[in-house]
Amino acid sequence: MRHALAVRVGPVGFRIGSAWPSPVAASRALYQGYPAPEDGIPDLTVRLYPERPWRRWLRPSVAIGGDYWLPDAAPLPLAQALLAAEMGMNLQVALGWRRHLLLHCSAVERDGRVLLMSGASGSGKSTLATLLALSGWRFLGDEFAFVSLGDGTIYPFPRAASLKNEAVAAVRAAGGIVGPVLEATPKGTIGYWRPPADAVARMAEPAPPKLLLFPRFGEAERIEAMAPSETFVRLTQASTNYVALGQAGFSALTRLVQGVPALTIGYPDSAAGLAMVERLWREA
Amino acid sequence: MAQDCDKPEKSPGESDAAALGVAGRRGVLMLGAVAATSVVTIRPALASTAASVLNCKIPIPDPAHAGQYITQDGRLVAAGTKDAVAPPPRPITGDEAKKMINGQSPAGFDPSSREAYVNYIRRLQHGTSGFTCYASLQVPRP
Amino acid sequence: MRAPAIVYAADPPAARIAVALDALVAVYHRPSGVTHLLAAPSPELLDALADGPADAATLRDRLAARYDLEGDADDRITATIDARMEEMIVAGLAWTT
Repeated sequence: MRHALAVRVGPVGFRIGSAWPSPVAASRALYQGYPAPEDGIPDLTVRLYPERPWRRWLRPSVAIGGDYWLPDAAPLPLAQALLAAEMGMNLQVALGWRRHLLLHCSAVERDGRVLLMSGASGSGKSTLATLLALSGWRFLGDEFAFVSLGDGTIYPFPRAASLKNEAVAAVRAAGGIVGPVLEATPKGTIGYWRPPADAVARMAEPAPPKLLLFPRFGEAERIEAMAPSETFVRLTQASTNYVALGQAGFSALTRLVQGVPALTIGYPDSAAGLAMVERLWREA
Repeated sequence: MAQDCDKPEKSPGESDAAALGVAGRRGVLMLGAVAATSVVTIRPALASTAASVLNCKIPIPDPAHAGQYITQDGRLVAAGTKDAVAPPPRPITGDEAKKMINGQSPAGFDPSSREAYVNYIRRLQHGTSGFTCYASLQVPRP
Repeated sequence: MRAPAIVYAADPPAARIAVALDALVAVYHRPSGVTHLLAAPSPELLDALADGPADAATLRDRLAARYDLEGDADDRITATIDARMEEMIVAGLAWTT
C-alpha cells in the first residue's frame, strides 16, 4: 500500500496501510506521541482500499480490510476515512486478538483499581469514561478492555475515544478538546478525543478490576445489582473472542464475575451519571 | 429444553434459581418442576459483536440475483411479476434494516415495499450476501 | 409391553470444568468447547453418571444416596430426571446408550 503508519496502542502494534494519503495523515495526527510497535513488528494490519479500482478517484470510497475481514461491510466516503481507519483497527482486534479476553467495555483507573463499563452504542460508556478521565481518572480505553488470561488484570488500550452526537458537546463543556469531528457518518456525528499524555505514557501498566457497571443513559436514576450468572452471560455477549479462547476464556471470565461486583445503573444525564459512579466507587 | 442464547429472555438468576436454591452442597437437592429449564447454552453471535464495530449493508437481492423482484413474503421472482416490488435503489444499511424491521420507513425507500424487504431479510441464510449484517442486528426472529 | 427405560451416559467429570457462580453453575465442556449454565439438579446428575451409564431410576437412587431429595413421589422424580437429561442431551452434555 502506498501510504502506511505503524503505531502501538496498549498491547497491540498496528500497521495501517492506505491507498490514499489522507487517512494515514489523519491517524498520524490523532496518534501523535504514541510509540511504534514493539521491535517494529506489527501484530495486526488494517488495509484501507478502493472496492473497485476506479473508486480510488471516482467518488472515492474506502473499503476496510486487513488481516481479518467481514462480509457485508459497507465502505465509507473518503471524507470519513479516519472513521474507516478507526473501524479497521477495532475490526482487526475484535476478530484477531487472542492474547487477552476482550470485552466491549470502557475502562478507567483510580487508586490502582479499574472501573469497567459495559454496554452497546448509546449506553454512555465512552462518554462517561472520557468525563471521568477529565476529572482525574486514568483513561484505559473506551472500546475494548483487555483482560489478562493469567491474572485477570486489565490492560490499557487507550485509543482516541469516539464520541457520538451529543457527547461531543458534553465533553467540550467539561473542558475536553474534541477533534476532528466527522459529520453525517453512518453513526451520526463522531468526534475524536485524544487521551491525556499520562494515559499514553502508562499504556503498558495494567491494574486489577474493582467494579463493573452496565450504564443506561437517559433513564431515571436506578441501581440494580446483577447476579454473577447474569453478568457472565452478558459479558459473553460483549466479548468478541470468548468462544475462540476456549478454556482460557472460561477461566478468565468466571474469575472476573466472581471477583468483581456488577451493577446496572440508569442515569438521566452525564452529571447524574458521574455522581453515581463516584459514589458507587467509594462504596464498592 | 436447551436455549440458544443470543439475548437471554429473562435473567438466569431469577425464578427457576430461586425455587431451586443452591444444590447439593448443603445436603438438600431441589429437583424442581418437570417443565423447568435447567440448561442455558452460551452461543454468542460472533457476528454481532464483531459487526457492531463495522458498518454493514444488505443488498436486496444479493448480487447473484440482481434485478429480480421481491414478493410480499420475501421471495425472489422475475422482474415485473405482479404484486412483487422492485428492489431498492441501493443496498440498505444495517441501521436502515433495523428501522424497517421495527416498523419504520427510513428515507429513500418506498414505504409500501417495506414489508417485502423485511421478509426478504428475515429469510436470509448463512452464506448469502447480507446475512452477517442481519445477524449482527440482534433482532429476535418472530 | 412397557418400553425399557432410557439409559443415559455422560463424559467423566474431568471432561468438564464447573464453577458455581450463584444458583447457577457455569460449566465448560472440554470436548466441545461449549459453555453452559446449569441449575440444579443438572450438575449433580452429570456427576452421578460418573459411576457409569444409568436410567432415571438408578440416577434417582444415586442422588438419594448423596443428597436429601425433595419428598416427591418416586415416579415424579424419575420424570423430572428424564426431562433434565433430555435437556442435557440437546445441549451436548449427555447421550443415550
